[in-house]
Amino acid sequence: MPKSQYVDPGKAFESGYIHFEDIPVCQYNKTLAEEKKIYTKDDFLRIYRDMAIIREFETMLNDVKTKSNYNGVEYNNPGPAHLSIGQEASAVGEAYCLDINDFSFGSHRSHGEILAKGLSSIHKLTDEEVYDIMKEFLGGSVLSVVEKHMNGGGNVKELAINFLLYGALAEIFARKTGFNRGLGGSMHAFFIPFGLMPNNAIVGASAPIALGAALYKRANHKKGIIISNCGDGATGRGPVLESLNFASMDQITKLWGMDGKFSSDGMPILFNVFNNHYGMGGQTRGETMGFDMVARLGAGFNPSQMHAERVNGYDPLAVIDAVSRKKELLIQGKGPALLDVVTYRVSGHSPSDSSTYRTAEEIEAWKAADPIVAFKNKLVGGKIATESEIAKLHEDITARMTEIMKLAINDEISPRMDLNKEPDAISSIMFSNEKRVSMEPEREAEMLLPKDECPRVKEIKGKIRTATDANGKPVSKMKMYNICDGLFEPIIDKFYDDATLVAYGEDNRDWGGAFGVYKKMTEAVPYHRFFNSPISESAIVGSAVGYAMCGGRAIVELMYADFIGCAGDEIFNQMAKWQAMSAGILKMPITLRVSVGSKYGAQHSQDWTALCSHIPGLKVVFPATPADAKGLMTSALDGTDPVVFFESQRIYGIGEQFMKDGVPEGHYEIPFGEPDIKREGKDVTILTIGAVLYRALDAAKILEEKYGVSAEIIDARSIVPFNYEKVIESVKKTGKILLVGDACERNSVMRDMASNITEMCFDYLDGPPVVVGSRNWITPAFELESHFFPQADWIIDALHEKIMPLPGHVAKTNFTNIEKVERAKKGL
Amino acid sequence: MATLVIMPRQGQSVESCIITAFNVKVGDEVKKGDTLFSYETDKSSFDEPSPEDGKVLAIFKEEGDDVPCLENVLVLGADGEDISALVAASATQEEAAAPAAVEAAPAAQPEKAAAVEAPAATDVKVSGAISPRARLLAEKTHVDLLKATPTGPDGRIIERDVQRLCDLGLTVSPAAKDGYTAAVEGTGINGKVVLADLNAPAAPAAAAEASVDAPEYEDVKLPNIRKVIAKSMHQSLSTMAQLTLNTSFDASKLLALRASLKAGAEKMGLANITLNDMVLFAVSKVLLSHKDLNAHYLDDTMRYFKNVNIGIAVDTPRGLMVPTVFASNKLSLNDLSREAKAVITEAQNGTINPDKLKGASFTVTNLGSLGIESFTPVINPPQTGILGVCGITRRVKEVDGEDVTYPAMGLSLTFDHRALDGAPAAKFLKELCFALENFDLLMTK
Repeated sequence: MPKSQYVDPGKAFESGYIHFEDIPVCQYNKTLAEEKKIYTKDDFLRIYRDMAIIREFETMLNDVKTKSNYNGVEYNNPGPAHLSIGQEASAVGEAYCLDINDFSFGSHRSHGEILAKGLSSIHKLTDEEVYDIMKEFLGGSVLSVVEKHMNGGGNVKELAINFLLYGALAEIFARKTGFNRGLGGSMHAFFIPFGLMPNNAIVGASAPIALGAALYKRANHKKGIIISNCGDGATGRGPVLESLNFASMDQITKLWGMDGKFSSDGMPILFNVFNNHYGMGGQTRGETMGFDMVARLGAGFNPSQMHAERVNGYDPLAVIDAVSRKKELLIQGKGPALLDVVTYRVSGHSPSDSSTYRTAEEIEAWKAADPIVAFKNKLVGGKIATESEIAKLHEDITARMTEIMKLAINDEISPRMDLNKEPDAISSIMFSNEKRVSMEPEREAEMLLPKDECPRVKEIKGKIRTATDANGKPVSKMKMYNICDGLFEPIIDKFYDDATLVAYGEDNRDWGGAFGVYKKMTEAVPYHRFFNSPISESAIVGSAVGYAMCGGRAIVELMYADFIGCAGDEIFNQMAKWQAMSAGILKMPITLRVSVGSKYGAQHSQDWTALCSHIPGLKVVFPATPADAKGLMTSALDGTDPVVFFESQRIYGIGEQFMKDGVPEGHYEIPFGEPDIKREGKDVTILTIGAVLYRALDAAKILEEKYGVSAEIIDARSIVPFNYEKVIESVKKTGKILLVGDACERNSVMRDMASNITEMCFDYLDGPPVVVGSRNWITPAFELESHFFPQADWIIDALHEKIMPLPGHVAKTNFTNIEKVERAKKGL
Repeated sequence: MATLVIMPRQGQSVESCIITAFNVKVGDEVKKGDTLFSYETDKSSFDEPSPEDGKVLAIFKEEGDDVPCLENVLVLGADGEDISALVAASATQEEAAAPAAVEAAPAAQPEKAAAVEAPAATDVKVSGAISPRARLLAEKTHVDLLKATPTGPDGRIIERDVQRLCDLGLTVSPAAKDGYTAAVEGTGINGKVVLADLNAPAAPAAAAEASVDAPEYEDVKLPNIRKVIAKSMHQSLSTMAQLTLNTSFDASKLLALRASLKAGAEKMGLANITLNDMVLFAVSKVLLSHKDLNAHYLDDTMRYFKNVNIGIAVDTPRGLMVPTVFASNKLSLNDLSREAKAVITEAQNGTINPDKLKGASFTVTNLGSLGIESFTPVINPPQTGILGVCGITRRVKEVDGEDVTYPAMGLSLTFDHRALDGAPAAKFLKELCFALENFDLLMTK
């Protein structure tokens, strides 16, 4: 809601019509003579060769899957093989136009895309460049295999082709010598140095990631465009549609330029749909979608209709023609663009596909139109190549593929990761654990004001950094440094320190974030680094993944933790997994801010720390004091790992009660994983997660004053990672522990920790670790919340009923086993 | 060659001793016979002499430690000798057996390393639930879990319940642990349940219901011996049917004889024979023909002794003790006198072998020197009788129609009416009086 753009009621109700431009449908009609002027014989033959290599590669995989034998070589591959036989012309046509600065992202059916772009890159690079890339990659471990066994007769380009085929196949066969040490596999094979970015087993998941890569190019002024490949089936996915919209949003061309200070270019991304007519077995045109043709979608997203076009994907030259025109548009700043590349998958969705959804006639008809045969006929008929030249080419490819396969299945040459010998091989890549002040230190950050002139920085300077003044009197809310300030300080510092940092989410910019963390930041940070996103949680998180993958750092916000569900795949499958799935090649410096609500009922009040901490690969923190908010945000932003950063709306305005000298000024870092003792005691330990810290303090006060029980309160602060040592020490001392958090009790983080503490401290326990969480209900209205969220007296009751009866105490709540059993029976 | 000095076993009934003082420290040169350390049981104290000349190379215990018998206390040897194996062995012993005395601060904050390596389960059988922490503390402190009052949820024994046992000093010795299944009152140091208690008749368990609030009075712990006396006296009176018969006899001859014995003692090489010795002698001789009084009453059995093991009640600085002279009926007056003197002195000095403090078949107690004319002695269970010897008063009796005075010595016999009736008891007294009045004849027997 920028004030610069006036929403005029007069204009809003003005009458008129929406005009659409015609969307070209298979309009390519160049003659052979025209084409001969564009392409040399080598070009023609290379296009043919690349298609033939892809066809043979997938034929081999199909034979291995269906017959466990390719060309006389036996092998059994239990992993997946989603083939794209029939789609080779589309892949090769697209790749023909791309260089290594152009990043392409794809689907689970991407073998063709990888090989096509790889082959194209090898052709375009010099011998030295391509050799250096191979030598650098994973310490030359892939190259050394190929160099030793299939060196291409001393020809670097031939060696590179072997390298590409071997690296991809070894990856598909889960070999340590694969492009990602076998950790990505068939559906996720990629090779970053050629601009071959991760492909994705989740249909449509690459779209927001590709969008983020485009944002990275756009915000950091990097060369190249982004190709977001997907199938027609994926266009039914929310994240894809969100990404089409996100890439098309007006502000990119209208606001990000800031009156000529910065670029007004559109998003440099081509959404390329390989339209093979089926999403697995569902027919998009005529059954599961209503667009008739994918290209029509473009008209729905922006007035330029995303320059949408439908092309014949069975003709590589038609595809080259279309993709090169779109690339030109993107370079001119007119993106985004959309291509509907019509093709067909002759092979099944997977080798187990019995094609119950289509007729044999249909398949035969498409086989008859085989793009490779058609292109061969064109070359032979047009006297560009002879039959025998083509036959020799096929012979070479088959021989090469057989050798590659023998190499990739040789357990000596291509071993699998040995987790007996290297038990930490996967552990060591789950997190990158690096500390990098800037992801691109050599570049200066684009900002609008010097830091000390930033209005918010000036405002915070005048604030008192403790909750009470020197006389112990509470500081007024207006003057008190609070959690919002604790979050803001490291964020604004990072904007100045790291040129790549971007922050976005719903209502981030002018509003200052729904809860004021970014208040008065608009004046200091340019639009392209700090903007309002559409209400598109998948695209918000997914784009951050793509942004980080390319080398940038992002802070994205979901406003309410409850919206984690809207970005479930992006958080749980993308953000969490790519560091390890890339064998540690990719870094993922993302801080995902989510806020646990209060007063807003069932869909705006949930603490979902358990969901996030359950997924390997995410770091999860939940500070509850201004100093901890600052220290942990500093660590999150200095790190290279994905962090889900929980905040609580109940305590944004709270001041610092624990650090006597107040929240430290300047750089202040709290390492992840270290819980903090907020109150020392000797009789019982209370471990808290998040805002419930303050209720535990209330309980501790009552325990001390009324029952003479001294409670030690430990604030977990971090959930993943988590160092239990301090807790164990405390439990050894007290023998009793209560774990308290605002999350629903069942399967909460408290439950997990309680179970671990039972194992670690069994002999020291004087009673079972007892969890005090919210009821397993919906969150009721604010007025009823005291029946839902843990209260101070619940903590005392739980101690009394489960661990150590307190003389004279009368419990108001029921923590007994009988009650627990009854509740569990009812699913409560 | 290094020499290990162990905690000696002072009698079969002793399970552990408390080291009261070390006279040496590591590095001291000692001569054979020098006192290395002093220690005590609940009844006696002892000095441990050095078995040889040498240097103190290591000391494993501290003053105040309650050390199980036969456990290593220190090492003597030559300078620079390698004693690492002995030290290691001693450390193992320490882990396996009883650690410090009960008074040692109970582990409210268990020490990390020790606690981590502590063995898993305790051997004490408990019927109810107990928290792992409470169990660990119980193991370290050897408290008597059977006396715990559970205050945790669902009757679980929790740390504070064990802590209370520690505070009350209710413990079980390592030796008694295995056989200990039902709560009994302990007679060991600080009320520790020891092996001996397991066979003793069950006494009502001490109520462990001490108030948690700070009391308005001062609790001073009873010395062990007082507890032992209190217990056996109370048990005596509460479980027996005791009654006392009083009589006296003419002690003229006895006094005359004693005077002549005294006069001739040096010449004859006799001991300093006292009136009490003479009473002991008479009792020893007469009792053999009154077997119901030379016996132990054991619920459904009577244990009759073939000899007289005479117990002598002695007032000692530590309280009442009853050392025994075994087979006193076989001893001459002179020998009996020497023997009695020896055990009395030992009891008074606290150096008596604890085995000599039990096993008596009948007891003689003498309050005569304190001017008591008659009293009701309390039987030492499971004995069936005790003879109280009173002072000598002048009495009048008619001799040939004339009132003459004579020295009368009072005797008070308490007997257990469960074991025998009044008449046999009276007959014993009568016979005893005759024997004492005709002591010269008795001596010839």
